[in-house]
Amino acid sequence: MRLRAQGLVKMFPGVRALDGVNLDLRPGTVHALLGENGAGKSTLIKVLTGVHRPDAGVVEVSEDDATWAPVTFGKPQDATAAGIGVVHQERNLVPRFSVAENIALQSMPRRHGVVDKSAMRALASRCLQQLDLHLDLNRPVAELSVAQMQLVEVAKALATDSRVLLLDEPTSTLTSQEADRLYAVVRRLRDDGACVVLVTHKLDEVFAIADTVTVLRDGRSVAEGRALSELSRSDVIDLMVGRSFADLQPDPTPPKDRSGIAALELAHVSTSVGHEDVSLTVHPGEIVGLYGLVGAGRSELARALLGLDDITSGSVLIRGQEARIRSVADALHRYGMGYVSENRKEEGVFLEQPVTRNVAVTVWRRLSAWGMVRDRSESVLLDTYVDRLGIRISGHKQLAGQLSGGNQQKISLAKWLAADCSILVIDEPTVGIDVRTKASFHTLIAELAAKGLAILLITSDLPEMVTLADRILVMHDRQLAGEVDNVAHDYAASSRQVVRYMHAEHVA
Amino acid sequence: MGEATLTSAPAAPPQEDSTTPSGLPWWANPRVGLLVVIVALVILFSALRPSFLNVDLTLVPMQADLSVFAIVGLAQLAVLSLGHMNLAVPRMAAVSAFAAGLTYDRLHAPLVVGLAVALVVGALIGALAGTIITTTGVNSFVVTLALDFGLLGLVSLLYAWATDGVAFAVHPAGMDALRFDTMNNYCAGPVCGPPVPLVVPIALVTVVAVGVLFRRSRVGREMLMTGSSLRAARLSGIPVTRRIIQAHALSGLLCGLAGFLLAINNGAFSATIGDQFLLPSFLAPVLGGTLLAGGAVSVLGTVLGATLTSVIQKGLNLLQFQLDQLQILIGVVLLLALSLDRVRHVLAERRGVRR
Ligand SMILES: Nc1ncnc2c1ncn2[C@@H]1O[C@H](COP(=O)(O)OP(=O)(O)OP(=O)(O)O)[C@@H](O)[C@H]1O
Ligand SMILES: [Mg+2]
Repeated sequence: MRLRAQGLVKMFPGVRALDGVNLDLRPGTVHALLGENGAGKSTLIKVLTGVHRPDAGVVEVSEDDATWAPVTFGKPQDATAAGIGVVHQERNLVPRFSVAENIALQSMPRRHGVVDKSAMRALASRCLQQLDLHLDLNRPVAELSVAQMQLVEVAKALATDSRVLLLDEPTSTLTSQEADRLYAVVRRLRDDGACVVLVTHKLDEVFAIADTVTVLRDGRSVAEGRALSELSRSDVIDLMVGRSFADLQPDPTPPKDRSGIAALELAHVSTSVGHEDVSLTVHPGEIVGLYGLVGAGRSELARALLGLDDITSGSVLIRGQEARIRSVADALHRYGMGYVSENRKEEGVFLEQPVTRNVAVTVWRRLSAWGMVRDRSESVLLDTYVDRLGIRISGHKQLAGQLSGGNQQKISLAKWLAADCSILVIDEPTVGIDVRTKASFHTLIAELAAKGLAILLITSDLPEMVTLADRILVMHDRQLAGEVDNVAHDYAASSRQVVRYMHAEHVA
Repeated sequence: MGEATLTSAPAAPPQEDSTTPSGLPWWANPRVGLLVVIVALVILFSALRPSFLNVDLTLVPMQADLSVFAIVGLAQLAVLSLGHMNLAVPRMAAVSAFAAGLTYDRLHAPLVVGLAVALVVGALIGALAGTIITTTGVNSFVVTLALDFGLLGLVSLLYAWATDGVAFAVHPAGMDALRFDTMNNYCAGPVCGPPVPLVVPIALVTVVAVGVLFRRSRVGREMLMTGSSLRAARLSGIPVTRRIIQAHALSGLLCGLAGFLLAINNGAFSATIGDQFLLPSFLAPVLGGTLLAGGAVSVLGTVLGATLTSVIQKGLNLLQFQLDQLQILIGVVLLLALSLDRVRHVLAERRGVRR
């Protein structure tokens, strides 16, 4: 099946999200869909799958490349029925349902009108197997980590057996190992004659797997189905950004002074979520990375540190003083420590609140006099970060839920960058963020560290880790497996060591 | 495709289209609709019964009623901000009024002292409700329902113990002035005030204070953020437990004020104070556009909602509707308002708030 769209227009109040987009999806190809945050990629995917109705334009399908039949999808189920599978950027799992139920949701096997449980479980385990993912089928998805949820989403799309598969940032929270497994599946689907559309901000993945590319800029397609073999990385970036843009990395920072008192120290910490005897230090000005596979327990350690899970033994020292942190409020107001959650949708932004409040929420104490918040200083604050992180908003009162995924992520970062902390724990900061913003974020982080901020950085993006971190701690199965000195910021050398520790059995 | 004029600058200046802060167009703003309906009803009622515009017969008592019900609405609004409910509004008011009555009866305290006692008692009961909710994690609906039931029994026991019936006979000094006087009774030379009862300024101050709290103050905004997303609020460093308890305490305090004012209007501190509060407490904020889901409140809307309820009640009274007919009508109005709440939600969703 070949699917094409012509002249698609989709308007939202204050923005033309799509402004005449053409797309041609041929069977047996992997088609990359690229563009900066807010360019309209997710909107395009939603229009193609019946979530949004286009304001203008047509979508057509053809079986033989000669006769085209226009299609309209009134609701998402219509698209699924027509053989279009999708993984949306925002997760759409039912938290209380089990892994198996979620995977089989759109293609529930029935017998005599009731759900055939054993067929459902067989289907689910087949899809998980393709992704080489070992999960308890009966577990409610609410208990899974963000990355596991993302893989379950993919499994759910695989279950629909589609001939066109649309993946909107499927690997944003995965490490490259997990992404590789996903891409192995994608290659097989392509070889079987399916068309896979891939939205991502990771250009390396694009060049490794995609055949053709469509680039969106401000809602228009500035490159339509071009062969990737004719394009270089910088061509693609220029197409996205609209002008020449040097993909600059921040200057490597000089080695940090580690002789003084650590800003943050964990001494033999064990937690209620299974960590044992974890010790680490972060000095002022230092960026310490925490790397590991999905499920290694990095985020969980951060959450325990912030009082969201219990620390059962060992101690946490902040600037040399024993600290009892029971909540993020404690951490922020008593210890000057901030935490960027990896879970943007549920924990990072207030979807139904204006962007100003989303950014200012951590700073209200500072922005208020006599308990009253000054609106003007709120706006000034927002403007600063709109500028620095290139956040695309249509007005100060726009609700955060109306922003594109990447722009929501910038909001959740901005509120902690604004908070003026002396210690920052950052979990997956650049998920879904475009190349240009990523570079400015890296510069910003390096600047903040140079000013003495102590940063504990968790990211599944190894290149990012090597660019930013001074030292990389590798976590394996809830214990620290090794430490990589990364002062040289040399990707080849550091990544080799990291990967070795990641798979090595724990060295006691 | 070069004819369109999209600017490519990030954060292009907003074409501030006619949206309210919540991102809805003005016609979906419930306040405008309310105002239109109120004006229409006033015209209708005064055409049918010219006495509807009679100052002493209708307008003055209506303002006194309205003041109480606006505050009752705000009491509910305080917890709606969290996405919670307070089903104990009636009995929080009753217990507070009892406490004030007892202060007058036993201590012969001046009027303001009783008021202060009512406020403190209300706030304490509210804080208790908030504490139970945060420590047990049980839904506010269930907790306040149980609390209301318990307090109902307590109120009748208390009145049986402290009075020889169901009301205090005591009349503290100034009570009658507050009840019967209007500003018209106070003149500076030849100029007298308007025919506005003395409870109205009290209500006005309260409305402004609650409005400022939710619009401008950090604490109020943090309550709204907590209502918007508990998890995100916790992860943004908002002390959510404290905010939840404070919102419930505020609700209790406003119940105390409403109970006190109703007792003044009725001329007695009695066991039936608060009995008719529950429905109006939801009616006013919901008519005014406060979401039951939490995260957004409208204080002005609540006042308009209370006004509408008072106008309907007075009007139908004058048209000699029976009490039960009245109740049916008010029930219907609430259902309509709740469906409007849904419609607004759906509209908001159409406009694309991703969940
Ligand atoms: N439901 C909505 N309501 C209002 N505006 C919207 C809505 N959905 C998207 N937009 C706007 O449309 C534009 C395109 O958004 P879209 O989500 O398609 O971007 P994207 O290319 O997927 O970006 P990202 O890389 O950040 O995911 C943005 O300016 C966004 O603010
Ligand atoms: Mg997107």
